[in-house]
Amino acid sequence: MESLYQYAWLIPVLPLAGAMILGLGLISFNQATNTLRRPSATFIVSMLGGAMALSFAILWSQVQGHEPYLVTFEWAAAGNFHLNMGYTIDHLTSMMLVVVTTVAFLVMVYTDGYMAHDPGYVRFYAYLSLFSFSMLGLVMSPNLVQIYIFWELVGMCSYLLVGFWFDRKPAAAAAQKAFVTNRVGDFGLLLGILGLFWATNSFEFDIIGIRLQELIASGALSATLVSIFAILVFLGPVAKSAQFPLHVWLPDAMEGPTPISALIHAATMVAAGVFLIARMFPVFADIPTVMTVIAWTGALTALLGASIAMTQNDIKKGLAYSTISQLGYMVMAMGIGAYSAGLFHLMTHAYFKAMLFLGSGSVIHGMEDVVGHDPALAQDMRLMGGLRKYMPATAITFLIGCLAISGIPPFAGFWSKDEILGAAFEANPALWFIGWATAGITAFYMFRMYFSTFEGEFRGNQQELRTQIKQLSLPAFGPGAMDPHELEAHDSHEHGHHASEPHESPITMTLPLMVLAVPSLAIGLLGTPFANYFEGFVYAPGEPVPDIAEIAAEFEWSEFLPMAGSSIGIALIGITLASLMYISRKIDAGAIASQIRPLYEFSLNKWYLDDFYDRVFVRGCRRLARQVLEVDYNVVDGVVNFTGFVAVISGEGLKYFENGRAQFYALIVFFAVLGFVILSV
Amino acid sequence: MGLPKDGFVGLSSKIRSSLKPINRLNILTALASIIMLTQIPWLTVLIAFPLVAAIAIPFLPDQNGKTIRWYALSTALIELALMVYAFWGSYTFELADLQLAESYPWVPQLGLNWSLAVDGLSMPLILLTGFINALAIFAAWNVTKKTRLFYCLMLILLSAQIGVFAAQDMLLFFLMWEIELIPVYLLISIWGGPQRQYAATKFILYTAVGSIFILVAGLAMAFYGDTTTFDMAALAQKHYPLAFEMLSYTGLLIAFGVKLPIFPFHTWLPDAHGEASAPVSMVLAGVLLKMGGYGLIRMNIQMLPHAHIHLAPILAVLGVVNIVYGALNAFSQGNLKRCLACSSISHMGFVLIGIATLSNLGLNGAVLQMVSHGLIAASLFFLAGVTYDRTHTLTIDKMGGMAKLMPTVFALFTISGMASLALPGMSGFVGELTVFLGIANTAVYTSSFKVMVILLAAVGLILTPVYLLSMLRRVFYGKAGDVAASAWIDAQPREIFIAVCLLLPIIGIGLYPKMVMQTYDVTTMAIAQQLEQEVTVVAQQGNFSKALALQEFHAPDLHASGQKMLGVMNSNL
Repeated sequence: MESLYQYAWLIPVLPLAGAMILGLGLISFNQATNTLRRPSATFIVSMLGGAMALSFAILWSQVQGHEPYLVTFEWAAAGNFHLNMGYTIDHLTSMMLVVVTTVAFLVMVYTDGYMAHDPGYVRFYAYLSLFSFSMLGLVMSPNLVQIYIFWELVGMCSYLLVGFWFDRKPAAAAAQKAFVTNRVGDFGLLLGILGLFWATNSFEFDIIGIRLQELIASGALSATLVSIFAILVFLGPVAKSAQFPLHVWLPDAMEGPTPISALIHAATMVAAGVFLIARMFPVFADIPTVMTVIAWTGALTALLGASIAMTQNDIKKGLAYSTISQLGYMVMAMGIGAYSAGLFHLMTHAYFKAMLFLGSGSVIHGMEDVVGHDPALAQDMRLMGGLRKYMPATAITFLIGCLAISGIPPFAGFWSKDEILGAAFEANPALWFIGWATAGITAFYMFRMYFSTFEGEFRGNQQELRTQIKQLSLPAFGPGAMDPHELEAHDSHEHGHHASEPHESPITMTLPLMVLAVPSLAIGLLGTPFANYFEGFVYAPGEPVPDIAEIAAEFEWSEFLPMAGSSIGIALIGITLASLMYISRKIDAGAIASQIRPLYEFSLNKWYLDDFYDRVFVRGCRRLARQVLEVDYNVVDGVVNFTGFVAVISGEGLKYFENGRAQFYALIVFFAVLGFVILSV
Repeated sequence: MGLPKDGFVGLSSKIRSSLKPINRLNILTALASIIMLTQIPWLTVLIAFPLVAAIAIPFLPDQNGKTIRWYALSTALIELALMVYAFWGSYTFELADLQLAESYPWVPQLGLNWSLAVDGLSMPLILLTGFINALAIFAAWNVTKKTRLFYCLMLILLSAQIGVFAAQDMLLFFLMWEIELIPVYLLISIWGGPQRQYAATKFILYTAVGSIFILVAGLAMAFYGDTTTFDMAALAQKHYPLAFEMLSYTGLLIAFGVKLPIFPFHTWLPDAHGEASAPVSMVLAGVLLKMGGYGLIRMNIQMLPHAHIHLAPILAVLGVVNIVYGALNAFSQGNLKRCLACSSISHMGFVLIGIATLSNLGLNGAVLQMVSHGLIAASLFFLAGVTYDRTHTLTIDKMGGMAKLMPTVFALFTISGMASLALPGMSGFVGELTVFLGIANTAVYTSSFKVMVILLAAVGLILTPVYLLSMLRRVFYGKAGDVAASAWIDAQPREIFIAVCLLLPIIGIGLYPKMVMQTYDVTTMAIAQQLEQEVTVVAQQGNFSKALALQEFHAPDLHASGQKMLGVMNSNL
């Protein structure tokens, strides 16, 4: 068993090696590597398969009760400062390893179908593999600095993958936005790490926690200061897990290919923030201010995401806001101290949200046959409808995902969300209420999505609708806006090649969907309140090991039923509302929207946060930079040029002193030195 | 031959005895044994070799301009190999003292000695010099105008750079410093862009005026007190009054501040980079800027520690200004190379902050940042040159959508850009992290001062990706721009090779920084200890400036038991 742990470093290194080999191949022998499509993909997938097998073995060994394992080596040293790196394996890590490797594996299989016709097929696999390395390294990190390293690396992979289609302008902008927004969070994280290191002289989670408590208790450090440090660290997760107010990058990141939306922006990377909060739990748990901030940030984000998701027409944007909302639940769970519940939701969400995204990718793939490779059309739900007939496998799995996220028992989402809501009710009924209301909105928008995509009539062939949507999607300002004639010409050119009906995706795409449907259905059963195996395995550090039997004994139906009943109830209300509006059309959604115009606009424009940031930060930064440049040209450089001018004038005068005698110059230097010495003494 | 194992006397007598029967073989063996047993003046060899090679260039036969470039490249490569061999064989990493020392009187009337030595501070920089220069000469493969002069100047430049880092005599240092200016001036003014005259003149005016301050301060220090000496170690031993130290310090700060460059003496740099050709930019950003940082540590800290303790807060403030001001400047530049030049200004701010920490960690970070930035900046400027070779413009707005045409250049540029914005796993991150840790943990500043410095320097962390990624987006992403031509070829093997050569150490240091840190750690530690002693002395005398040492709330003491179980920080681990 021990050798398994000694070779655990292979888990991240296998995908890294794959990425390196492909990357070097692409840089050195570009064309040759690009022709080896299938071999490259097989190579990368099998590397990750190896990592997955190891991860399962480690999870099994941890479930059997193996001790946590830690390996470190000295990474940097300066005098008596030593910084170690290495890897650690405990229950949390082993769980995360399995989640990450399984989702990554399935996404890689799916990619083969989705990217089949893309010229960047091999490069995409290289990026995916690099991302897997970074994410696996992140979850195995034993200390804060190493987490920060991989934290930034996953951010870079996200940058590369969002900007994968580099000839698309919006993709480039989205990639940059994602990176910079995450840097803002990392700025806080780094400052927090520095502060905690200054205070405790350590980068290790439990040691920091213990020392901080000692320092606060002895009065050497004020609680306010500690709270500031902790909140700075929390800024990292705020950006990475797309929490308010740094969530703005995630919807834009949907410009990337759909497989990475599933892997990075739904299942794994965005969950890294929650993972970091879990790792920092020994520090955060004892600082009430921070826990309150975390809980309320999560709750607000959950509400914000859901409220915006209601009005989105782009299927991927809708899912993105839904992800933001669900991440809000997890963060809220962490904030109220429901450690296991938050991580349980992380796991269930990883599976069902990955499946939903892959499903949406399958839908887009099918739609592209009809409307062409135009994200504005292929992703718009107003053009879909009735797709269940054409793509049954996608429809059924998508429905399972919708039921899971809406919290209908026995699907996975119900158990994890209900556990969070139960804990929230005990902590603060206001938080519970927000979570509960959000659950209703979630059910509504998810089924709005399902109904308008898969039910009713197919609308993809309605020409006016297409033109209308296309024109709406164009920027309405600036010289860059497209000429309408050009648009029509473009459209008519495209039509010749396309089918009038979408089709089901190839088996490499539907198979991962079906595999993911299994955990989406059943994995929640690991964490039922009557037999919570999950909590028995993943529990907050420093707490006594929870006894499953004991918890089960404490379980009372009279407590469970009202809570569960109310959440199922609101979910059913949401679903009913959605069906009335989008299937039977008994309620006119447009009429409601026009009645509550301001609210509708508020949601449609994403709470106006993007506009606000653009005006204040983006343009403000540009203006400032321009002003600085002007100062540089006119003032700093101007002074020098002026001095140069003076020098020329005085040079004219000094010319008469130039007699070419070396002694004379020596004399001047001598007097300068002499004056210098006299002046200073 | 049974030569005595040690002792020069024994050896020379052996030579004399072997000379008696005049036998060529014997002389050769004797020479060989001298080479093996006595110290070769390695540093002199390293300085002289490129110089001699450069002098020979005018007399070389040259067929259609290809011999010269091979000649220059092999000279640079041999030089690099000699360096590695010399340091590998004769340099002891565990020693903080000056090593490979040699000293010969040169102009005894002036007291000028040809004295050279290296320690942990100069050794990595000399290696960096050899490495960057070799690659720069390789990058200048397609120079067609006045080839002989070009390579001649490049080799002289190489020689002078090593001289600056190795000189242990104040006058010799000044001499080398001046010699290095002339080739750069010529390289910009002959092979530069359209505005080259303006840029070259600005460069020479700035740096020449700056270097006068080195001379004046050096002479003042040399003539101060009873003994007149130019020896740097002896100058460091002298005790100067504080006012004198402050004045000399300011003079040197101006000289090195022009070179580094420090705000407000930086405006020559964007002009010089904007006009210089890529190989010259590589050397300029890769090595010449580091001379400023090197000078600050070697002279301002080591010779004038009292003044440094008093003026260090100013350095920290200037560092912050550099970081933020340089980054904002870079953001609004419309010229690719000017943008990169401003990015250099920004990154050099970290060196200043590291120097200002007065702590081992900070100094260590400053040196690491210098080495790392040397590699990263060289790589970025090289790739900018590769781009320019195809676009024939440096205006960012005219480019665009080039990723599709030149995917490999795009990939390499992205990696270098990532390194520059301090992505972990690459050297820039380690340098900046160490500087941050150094300033966070230094004991000499008040907490509020530290917080301000860290906060503003960290703002640079946000601004760097803003301008670098904007630049990448505008140059490479989107649809093809105005100047795009489908005839452009992607990077050629030579270009890929150079970029990969620069990127490998960047990633290597990023993955395992100890590899580089341990080569100079003892030296920076010794400097830091010296500084710490001075700080204690000054603090006891109680005449500290207000910004310093007034610790409102310093890092709380840890429990003794806690100290023992330090996890990450434990030196025993």
